[in-house]
Amino acid sequence: MSPNVRKFIGALAFLVVAAALPFVTDNIYYIRIATLIGIYWILVAGLNLVIGYCGQISIGHVGLLALGAYCFAILAGKAGVDPWVATAASALLGGLCGLALGLPSLRLPGFYFAMTTLAFGMIVAELSVAWEWLTGGGVGLMVPFYPGEFASPWGFYWLVVGIAAIVSWLVWNLGRHAWGRAMISVRDSEVAAAAVGVPIYKIKLYVFTFSGVLAGLAGALFASYQSYITPETFVFELSMFFFVCIVVGGRGSILGPFIGVIVLAALPEIVAPLAKLGTFFYGVLLLIVVLLLPEGIGNLIHILRDRFNPIERRSSGIVPDLERLAAALRQGGMK
Amino acid sequence: MLLSVLVTGLAIGALYASTALAFNVMYSTSKVLSVATGHLCMLGGVFGAYFIQTLGLPIIVGFVGALMVGVIAGYLMELITVRRIINRSDEHLWLLSTLALATMIQQSVALWWGTEPRPFPRVIPQEFGAGMADQKYWLPVVALIVIAIGLELFYRLTMYGKVFIAVSEDAFAARARGVPTNRIRAASYMIAGLIGALAGFAAGQLTFAYFALGHVLTLMGFIAIAVGGLGSNLGAVVGGLLLGVLSSLVSYWFGGEYQNTIAIGVLIIILIVRPEGLFGSKRVRHV
Repeated sequence: MSPNVRKFIGALAFLVVAAALPFVTDNIYYIRIATLIGIYWILVAGLNLVIGYCGQISIGHVGLLALGAYCFAILAGKAGVDPWVATAASALLGGLCGLALGLPSLRLPGFYFAMTTLAFGMIVAELSVAWEWLTGGGVGLMVPFYPGEFASPWGFYWLVVGIAAIVSWLVWNLGRHAWGRAMISVRDSEVAAAAVGVPIYKIKLYVFTFSGVLAGLAGALFASYQSYITPETFVFELSMFFFVCIVVGGRGSILGPFIGVIVLAALPEIVAPLAKLGTFFYGVLLLIVVLLLPEGIGNLIHILRDRFNPIERRSSGIVPDLERLAAALRQGGMK
Repeated sequence: MLLSVLVTGLAIGALYASTALAFNVMYSTSKVLSVATGHLCMLGGVFGAYFIQTLGLPIIVGFVGALMVGVIAGYLMELITVRRIINRSDEHLWLLSTLALATMIQQSVALWWGTEPRPFPRVIPQEFGAGMADQKYWLPVVALIVIAIGLELFYRLTMYGKVFIAVSEDAFAARARGVPTNRIRAASYMIAGLIGALAGFAAGQLTFAYFALGHVLTLMGFIAIAVGGLGSNLGAVVGGLLLGVLSSLVSYWFGGEYQNTIAIGVLIIILIVRPEGLFGSKRVRHV
């Protein structure tokens, strides 16, 4: 069985377990947390391609999330558009704004790009307060539920799990084929990537736009999940959370950030003191990982495995055959 | 009315310019643009208010104390987030580590100091009816002048200043000549902490002692640098003042809620049209 098939079966098994969660517990609280994790994952999956694969540090994705959320709230809530159409519009808007943000900023190197995305997040936060006629200002907006079956916590959970599964499948496909290789090459060495014909700017732009689509989609779901959104919902700390999930989980992998999202979203709910420290804890975690394990905690498994169960190094016959050497020398000496 | 807008703009612009100078000082020796730069200013303001208002210390003691906090924070920044990272090849790591430190500083101040802006005490006895001549408008400008002239004198006249320049020109060559580059880098971060705390303290009455100032100031200081040109102190001052006046004019014409939007529009236009900034040389261009 090839590793990919094994991974696919593993993912399928996880999906079955995830989908069966409502039958295991009827505690709505757990379902709500699991739904939130799913929504976060939809965004993080796209952001992971930008940060983990392309190496572009975007710290303003919460702006795209807010855009999607407000788009959904305004269309489905105020204008009375069908929620499914509104969701598609959110994703589209997220993609368009990602494209518009990426066009100028992706030409810039590391810190400049990070600052531009931070600035974008601030603009969205500012406008969501300023455009009171559209967004309700500081008071916020009511957000409708999805229609029919999906209005219940369980229905909504299955909807999120379904979308998250499709998104994971898309991202997985992107990550392991030529695109993924191209992205990693952009991250590791732009010069080398350009030398082998990778269109650096295009790759970054496509990936960033794709992450914008996913952020908009996650925004629509997030808005419906919250059922009431204000500018306060989309604080900068949320960006920090996405960011930490990816870096802590391990850059350049999909499973790592996925586990990161689950653990980091569930931890504050389980360990109460952490909820109070909240973002401070994320900062500490980020610092520790950057200083000690730049490859992410996911890599810790590999390090520990190598330490306690080292892979047998197969010797390729470097044991010196002294007798033969001596014989050869003797022969040489006779000549 | 327009005069008051200009005065406010210059005052807040002086704070942006000082932040930009702190950026430059750190960048020159380490080639790192720290996300936590604005947080140094925030610390100056918060600790100034804490020492003078809350603890009731004399103003001069509070002032020196706030500066010391800035210096310590600068040193810790170098020690924790830069020194271990700088020799590794991955250029993004310092971005992550300074971002982590910025978050930690901001959140610990939020937990300890509270999330509401608190008033900053009067530094010099003065009536509140002074209008445009109020100290909250000219103190940041005075601080900026002191910082800019002090830096210039430091770079030109002192031995340490020359060593700084040597390290910023070529760290390897400086090291080969026996310059302790690690210690010089730490010193530059402490100076940046001093600058940040001084500016934050001087502008405290304008901005209030507020925990969330850090990110805004980092961004604005960075825009000032992008406008003026990375590595140019003159550019940092001009860029910061321009940005302050511009955002003040914008909030006069369009209302305060569009301040950041316009500032960021300027950033993007500058980065597209003239990526090296107004006063930057092409050589240091990192775009």
